[in-house]
Amino acid sequence: MIISSLVMMAIVAPSSVVGTMMEAAKMGITMCIEFIGIYAVWMGIMQVMDDCKLSHKLSKILSRPVQYIFGKTDAETEKNICLNIASNIIGIGSAATPYGIKAMQGLDKGDKRATRAMIMLVVINSTGIQLLPTTVIGMRAMAGSISPSCILWPTVVATFLPTILGILLVAVIYRRKKHG
Amino acid sequence: MADLFIPILIAFIMIYALIKGVDAYTAFVNGAKGALPLMASLMPFIIAMFVAVELFRNSGLSTYLCDFLSPLFRVLGIPTELCELTLIRPFSSNAAYVLLRDIFSTYGVDSYVGKCASVIMGSSDTIFYVSSIYFASTNVKKTLLTIPIALICNVACAIIACFCCRFI
Repeated sequence: MIISSLVMMAIVAPSSVVGTMMEAAKMGITMCIEFIGIYAVWMGIMQVMDDCKLSHKLSKILSRPVQYIFGKTDAETEKNICLNIASNIIGIGSAATPYGIKAMQGLDKGDKRATRAMIMLVVINSTGIQLLPTTVIGMRAMAGSISPSCILWPTVVATFLPTILGILLVAVIYRRKKHG
Repeated sequence: MADLFIPILIAFIMIYALIKGVDAYTAFVNGAKGALPLMASLMPFIIAMFVAVELFRNSGLSTYLCDFLSPLFRVLGIPTELCELTLIRPFSSNAAYVLLRDIFSTYGVDSYVGKCASVIMGSSDTIFYVSSIYFASTNVKKTLLTIPIALICNVACAIIACFCCRFI
């Protein structure tokens, strides 16, 4: 993408290449600073939830559906999957990733082909099961929205349905073939 | 209703912490402390992405691609203004945040397009990034149908997002 853009730009407007890049870097820094604020607030709240064991409670509630969807896994992997989904739901992707990776390693049996449970986990993660779009709401607030969180219920619907679709697709496609 | 949800949730967490005897202030400060290092580690990637996205857009390449795809988007009920966002979202969240910010300033944060963009942003994820780091930690070489399934879900997500936004 970068190479083709550069080639294109060199043809269309060679003089503005460096200017564009510098302008973009400046915008990047501005956004980083805004993001530090958004992350600080939400990570603070997550930490409070963590300290009073609320996130562990959430992952306990999830353990039944997880067993149902993923089939048999060992206890450690199951816990990691639950924590991965729980952190996704409360909307902090950076906390979800380490659990997700641990869960993937737990599901790995040294096979070269992905197993059904692995595909399931990646699909669920990539449909973004985030129920609380904290970053987006933060950005809307900073952009001066009259109602930053009015997008909440559409986001929940637009998250939930594709996730169900993904789970169904994986379940149907990989049902008969014996992938783990 | 929706505006009340987050304040209530936060209040609930704080009250719960109070009941459990957890020092909410210290916990909050400890959590917030992590924001700066996290951002510092992400910053190089965000800047690289900003540069890539700006080049992609200023070169006119994205306009061609979107012109080409816009009939398809119209059929699916997705505003054509969101073409770029939907294309870039599966590759990089940072790049998508760049576009989101742009959409907010061009079309207004409370416009239909602005709302659709927010919902798409909040409800989908970076398929290629997630699957690459997840599978990178395992022995798996063949990911089978993971990416196609995830992409189908993402398109579904965009359609549902734009549909729901008509009602808010």
